[in-house]
Order: sequence, then C-alpha cells, then structure tokens
Amino acid sequence: MTPIIEIKHITKEFRVLNRREGLRGSLQDLFSRNYKIVRAVDDISMEIGQGEIVGYLGPNGAGKSTTIKMMTGVLEPTSGEILVAGSVPYRSRTKNAGQIGVVFGQRSQLWWALPLIESFRLLKDIYCIPDAAYQEMLDFYRSLMDIEPLLHKPVRQMSLGQRTLSDILAAFLHDPKIVFLDEPTIGLDVAMKARIRTLIHALNREKHTTVILTTHDMGDVDALCRRIVIIDKGRMLYDNDITHLRGFFGAYRTLKVRMDGDLAAQAAVIRKELPDCSVTADEEWISVLVNEEQARVLDVLALLQKTHDIRDMQLQEISTEEVIKKIYEEGVQ
Amino acid sequence: MKLKRYLTLTRAGIIESLQFRLSAFIMVLGNLLYLIVVYFLWRSIYDSAGTDAVGGMTFTDTLIYLVLATALFGFMEMYAVWEIGRSIQSGQIVLDLLKPIPYRRYLFWSYSGSFVTQFCFTFLPTFLVVALVTHGAIHFGLNLLFFVVSVVLAVSINYSIDFLVGTICLYTESIWGINIMKQVIVLLLSGATIPLAFFPAALRQVVNCLPFASIYNAPLTLLLEPRPEPRMVLETLGMQLLWAVVMNILSKGFWRISLRQITVNGG
Repeated sequence: MTPIIEIKHITKEFRVLNRREGLRGSLQDLFSRNYKIVRAVDDISMEIGQGEIVGYLGPNGAGKSTTIKMMTGVLEPTSGEILVAGSVPYRSRTKNAGQIGVVFGQRSQLWWALPLIESFRLLKDIYCIPDAAYQEMLDFYRSLMDIEPLLHKPVRQMSLGQRTLSDILAAFLHDPKIVFLDEPTIGLDVAMKARIRTLIHALNREKHTTVILTTHDMGDVDALCRRIVIIDKGRMLYDNDITHLRGFFGAYRTLKVRMDGDLAAQAAVIRKELPDCSVTADEEWISVLVNEEQARVLDVLALLQKTHDIRDMQLQEISTEEVIKKIYEEGVQ
Repeated sequence: MKLKRYLTLTRAGIIESLQFRLSAFIMVLGNLLYLIVVYFLWRSIYDSAGTDAVGGMTFTDTLIYLVLATALFGFMEMYAVWEIGRSIQSGQIVLDLLKPIPYRRYLFWSYSGSFVTQFCFTFLPTFLVVALVTHGAIHFGLNLLFFVVSVVLAVSINYSIDFLVGTICLYTESIWGINIMKQVIVLLLSGATIPLAFFPAALRQVVNCLPFASIYNAPLTLLLEPRPEPRMVLETLGMQLLWAVVMNILSKGFWRISLRQITVNGG
C-alpha cells in the first residue's frame, strides 16, 4: 500500500519573544530582540495509508495542531519533509486544499447566516464538484442520516451538535482523499458523540477516505481508530495498533469496589494502605489500578475486605483512557 | 479561471446581506444623519465665506459631491481590515487558507455580494434622489459609463489598500488602531470628506501623487463633469488603471511575503 501521507523527520520551531513582567518590562519589550526558540514539533516521522483512521493523541500543547497545520500546508516545517497525496503541502497549499477536508471542533467553515444547503452549494462551486458527484454524495448522506431538517436551517440557529455534524458533512462533500478532524466531539452530549462516530466510520468505509483524528475523548479512539499515534512535547511517543497499546500495559487491571459512607474519604484511607496502586473515587465506585506484576488483584481484594465493608465489586481490564493517561504521565519505557 | 466558483460567492454574499434587514435600515438612517450634519456644516462655511463659490465650487456642487461620496463610501468600504484582523486573532483564517481559492481572491469575492446590494440599496437611491432634487445638475450621458468604469477601478484600488493594511495585522495582531488610521487617511486624502478642490495647492500636489485620489475623487469628478474632455477622461482613467495595477502587485507581494511568516496561534 502506497502511503497517502509521508512525513520524514519534521521539526517545527517558533520564535517567541521573551516577555518581561510589569509595566516596565512591557515597555522594554517594545524594543526587545530577546527571542527564544520553542520547538513545538521535534523529529516526527510517520506514514499513513489511504483509508486509514489514525487517532492522533497527546496532552494539550503537545504539538498536535502544529503537525496537522503542517500536513494541511498552513505551516511550513523548519526541517524535514512532508508529502501529502504526492505533493508538498506548504508549496502548493491551494492545490492541496482540493484534496483535503478539515473540521476544527471549535470553528466552522459554514456560512453562518445561510441555511446549510446554501453552504453546500457554495462548496460545490468552490471545489468544482460535478453535479452528478454532488447529488450522489447528498444521496449517500441521506442514506446515513436524516439530513433534511438540517439542510434548511440557518447554521447560526443550529445546536453545537448539529453544527458539528454539518461541518463534518461539509468537509467530506468534495470527496477528499484525507480529512483532518480536530476534536470533532468536543462539548457534545453522549448521543451526539455516538452519531458523529457512526457517521465518520461510515464515510471512511464507503469513500475510503483517510481520517486523521485528534481528540481527548478515548471513546472516539475506541470506536474509530485501529492505529494511534501519541506525541508529547513535540516528540513521538507511540505509533502502533491500539491492541498493541493495551498489551503494553496489559499487566494492569482495575478493581472497582463499592462500599458505604463517604467514598472520597475511604479512598484516601485505601491510598495509604496500597501505596503502589493508584486509587480514585467517583460517586459510585472506588477504582484501584493494580499492576499484576507487583500484586495480584485477588490479594488486593482480600486485603481490602479485611479492613472495609465491601458491598459490591467489579474487575475491569484497563481502558484505553487509562493507558493514555499513564503514557501522558510517565511516557513509554 | 472558472468564473462560476467566484460568482457563487457573490450570490451567497447577496443572500447573506439580505438576511440583515435591520442593519441595512440603520445604515441608511446613519447616512442620513451624517448628511444632515454635512449640509449644515457646509451651509455655515459658505455663509461665513460670503461668496457663492469656494475653491471653484458652489454650495450645490459641494453638497452633491459630498452626498455622492458618502453613498459611494457606503458600498465601497468593505471592512476587509476588520475581517482579516479578526480572522487572524480568532484563528479562523486557517479555514479560509484551506479553501482551494487563493485567500486574497476568496475574500474579495466573498465581499462582492455586498457591493451589489449596497449599490442597489444605498448608492442608486441616493443618486436618483440627488438627480431629481437638483434638476439636472447631474448630466445623463457618456459620463455615466466613465463613472462605472472608474468605480470598478476604484473598488480594486480600495481593496488592494485594505488588503495591504489588513496584512499588517499579521504582524501586530491588533486591528483597531490600524483600521482607524487607514480609514482617516483614505477618507481625507481621497476627497471623500472634503472635496480635493478645497485643498491648498501644495497639498494637492502631494495628493495627486498618491493612490487615494483615484478612489473617490476620480469617479465623482467623472460623474459630475457635464462635458468631460476626452483628454481629462483618459488621464483620470489611465491614472486609476496604473494605481490599480501597482497596488495589486504591492498587496499581493506583501501578502505572499507575510504568509511565509505566518504563525497561526492555536492549541
């Protein structure tokens, strides 16, 4: 399979003015030449094939958006090479734009005063979509969901969820080779998240569109991605199958117990009893993350039972969310 | 170049601007208030001057000129500086840059729709009212054709200047001051607030070497001149064409250089 996106050792540095504090500092800054170099992306390489859905993960400020902007051609890498669909994105940005679609969760590319169908018509002309292809795409959308109520509603009157759905439909309209989705499910309710995941999944399957998805919602990752790439502080931490990732921390399991009384207080007690495990409490459960190489879950349970009155318990394999959290916190060994 | 992809933006702009009926009415009202102020201001200037003509223009000449300048401003001013500045600050510009149309063209055509509506809803009515009220002070002939050509060139020059100034926002990341400065300079030096005929000779020399006069003064002069000499028409239009080309190259070049420097803020 020939890759649609090829990235070789790209690095992006920004020059940032060192700001000083206070009024005096601000005045001095007016004439300052004191810059520091911030490396937002540091030596990242990857290849992405046509039709893949790749989850691009990392904590806030890890350099995800910067990488995506380089892939779309809005930013030029300081060093390294990028090829997207055979061309260098920052050199032929406008040409490249016809082959990609973008959705930035907090922004909209739609004409907000106009009904959605007008935005679609505009995009049809701007991207020079042939009539037949446009109709076919709309029919395909109709087969996926009931879009009629959306089509005739001005974008500004839409709820966030409806707007995000519309933005995703708009990004796929010209049948691009690659779609970049930057936190598409941010701020949405559970049902809407599920609808959006189903939609992305169907679009990817039918149109064989490559999808690069950045998100902080591990539900998105579990539902959509087979491959994930994790970066932090601009460096690549992980690039592999999601199943492989679980194997990484396979020795971990979560023991959930329910007991009477104030769970937060009890969790604090348990934390002291089990210094090796990470203990968290929510409204219903106290969760204990156990590393089976250090202690067996059953031993932990036995220990807890001696000192606490356990009403109920559950055993969970580690979730993607927890794996990612551990990677963010500790990195990959 | 497929014209359809651009005309579709014009069409959307027309529909979009028709959505905001109230704002259109308020704009007409605002212009009316401004014109009342202009009327009394110049009335008193002429009264205190004690002569019929100041700077070679009678009171009626001046008033016609200023009313039409205001109407022209209503549809030529495109607030591109605001638009560029705002989308840079919010990061929205990323989405516009990722359209398969170059940004400079994309923005222009997005605005073109409001040219059409503004022309029909503010300029045309004002023009007709002025023509009726002044009983033939405006000549209907070839000058209308020259005027239209001249306005097209003026729009192009005005856009290039707006875009040039808007590009500066990439560096300053602030809009307000720059925009106000641009507006004051353009309106004053183009003859939109005070007819250029009133300027002292030395200043007029300077203004004639700048592109601004081609924006308001040129089309209005062509419109209001009852019997334009061919040489004057050619000179004015030629000058405008020259500025349109020069400003176009400048703003395009500056944008291209600036775009390389762009560091779009965002998480």
